[in-house]
Amino acid sequence: MKYLLILLLSINFLTSNLWGIDAKIRIEKDVEHRGRIALVDCSSSKNTKFFKILQADLKISGHFLANKNQYKGDFSNDYILPNLKSQDYVLKYKLNRSKLSVKLFQASTNKQIFKKDYNIPQSNKVPFLAHKSISDINKLLGYPDISWINRYVVYAVYTRAKHSEIRLADYTFNYTKTIVKGGLNLFPKWADKNQKSIYYTSYRELRPTLYKLNIYNGSKRKIASSEGMMVCSDVSKNGSKLLLTMAPNGQPDIYEFKVGSRSKRKITNFNGIDVNGKYINNESGIVFISNRLGYPNVFKKSISGSGVSQVAHHGRNNSACDAHGSNIVYVARESNSAFRQNKFNLYLTSSRSSSRRALTTTGANQFPRFNTDGSVVLFIKQRANSSSIGYTNLNSRQSLLFPFNGRKVQSIDW
Amino acid sequence: MREKIFITTIALLFLAGCGQPAPDLDTYNPNPSGVDYNGTDDTNKAETVDIDETVYGNGTGNGQGHGNGHGGNNPNPNYDTSNKNYHGNNSSGGNFRSIYFDFARYAIVSKMENNMHHNNQVAKRASGTMKIEGNCDEFGTDEYNYALGLKRAKAVKDRISAQGVDTSKMVLISLGESNPTCRETTDSCYDKNRRVDIHLAR
Repeated sequence: MKYLLILLLSINFLTSNLWGIDAKIRIEKDVEHRGRIALVDCSSSKNTKFFKILQADLKISGHFLANKNQYKGDFSNDYILPNLKSQDYVLKYKLNRSKLSVKLFQASTNKQIFKKDYNIPQSNKVPFLAHKSISDINKLLGYPDISWINRYVVYAVYTRAKHSEIRLADYTFNYTKTIVKGGLNLFPKWADKNQKSIYYTSYRELRPTLYKLNIYNGSKRKIASSEGMMVCSDVSKNGSKLLLTMAPNGQPDIYEFKVGSRSKRKITNFNGIDVNGKYINNESGIVFISNRLGYPNVFKKSISGSGVSQVAHHGRNNSACDAHGSNIVYVARESNSAFRQNKFNLYLTSSRSSSRRALTTTGANQFPRFNTDGSVVLFIKQRANSSSIGYTNLNSRQSLLFPFNGRKVQSIDW
Repeated sequence: MREKIFITTIALLFLAGCGQPAPDLDTYNPNPSGVDYNGTDDTNKAETVDIDETVYGNGTGNGQGHGNGHGGNNPNPNYDTSNKNYHGNNSSGGNFRSIYFDFARYAIVSKMENNMHHNNQVAKRASGTMKIEGNCDEFGTDEYNYALGLKRAKAVKDRISAQGVDTSKMVLISLGESNPTCRETTDSCYDKNRRVDIHLAR
């Protein structure tokens, strides 16, 4: 019996480790525990666009397996189609202009477990009703928080030479709105976790100037300016510190700027290029892009120390990155043509290990940005003559692409 | 003893099978706070601004948004561009000549020495502030491309200042990929965008 126990313990140990390292097994296991859900549209007229937004919300959460069919039904009763009884949940919804009503049922029992009405003043913001309802249902069912789907994306696009616009969007880009236009306005970055204000660089004056703009009342404050270039690359969690790329003497380096005292200190010191600073490890260090090896690559250093170490150990052109905690996502150019569309892929790595994981395999994928909890990465995918906004859920490994037929993106933040 | 081993084994096997559990509808309270049933929610997405930088205040004021769309009639108010199209592919102003760069590089190449020599002479005679603009092709991303443009501009500034020109008369700026002079997808077109332009700031 003792041998039997040892044998069983060994099997248990091996099985646990396999689950830890074999993605396929883990994914299948996760699939088993996702909630199977069907959507029943009870609106007076069929709205496929809204249905697809709901489906996208369910998919990107990583917590649901959404039925692909858009069923029709009656919102006034609790009737559930017999062929939907095999689902875990049935979501009945009714969209009327900018008002959304939802009811969630346990499919097998017809038991109503959630009912809520949502309103939004502007009809063009209806996508946010879908996001809010799905994040509420996700929360109700006890899954990890996905309220990040309710957030705005802010981005800059070029409109013509020396001209760009800063725009807002929901994460699916079904809602978009220009908030700053006229001249060259670049590198928008959320200034606070509640998305009340942005930082952006204006080229209106002789030197690039960083402003903080309240997107609701229009109040605007000059933060700093620098000869050459000025970029707000990252904002600390409480908003009190910024990582800026500045070049007061024509030399691009990374500075930490304290918003309250308006003091700054130089974090990097190299006579080549140091840019794209992102806080890591509770803001005790940064990752950044530097050409100190003769080509752009990802490096890290502590805020106060002088030592610099290489983060990405593959690729000869890794020119952009983002970070969340100790996780780092970076862009690697994997073809080397000066004159045609190059292949750019995204890789996930960590400041604490040298392992890496490919997040994309086709097309030109750029501008990676973590969401607020670090579970999803946003990026822009360029293929042939079309571009898309992409999202990949790092836990469920599910990806979504939304058409993006706008102009060339300059920068983006989530 | 056998019973203990049996129970332990079953418990271990059970634990091995545990992952992220699906919600158990029989045991959770569907309405813990009492606000979700029959509730309403006015999602808090108030209207945002619409600012036109060409008519919006420059300073620290409290100006309200909702600009009226006058943007873009004079995109380069600070530049003297009267010398456009001078000497072939030139996009500089004030008698200066554009300097062109190799892909992903910021060193001034030998074939640009004549243009650089010409710029040194013009710079010595210039009376106003010279704005040295670094530009890139569209292949870079995000911040790095702007830094590359800046390094190109600095390379030109350093060469001019080496001729004794006062550095306080020169201002650097990187325009990254925002100011292409050519938009075709050809080799020669991308060559034209990897450049430094010099203008006299008004």
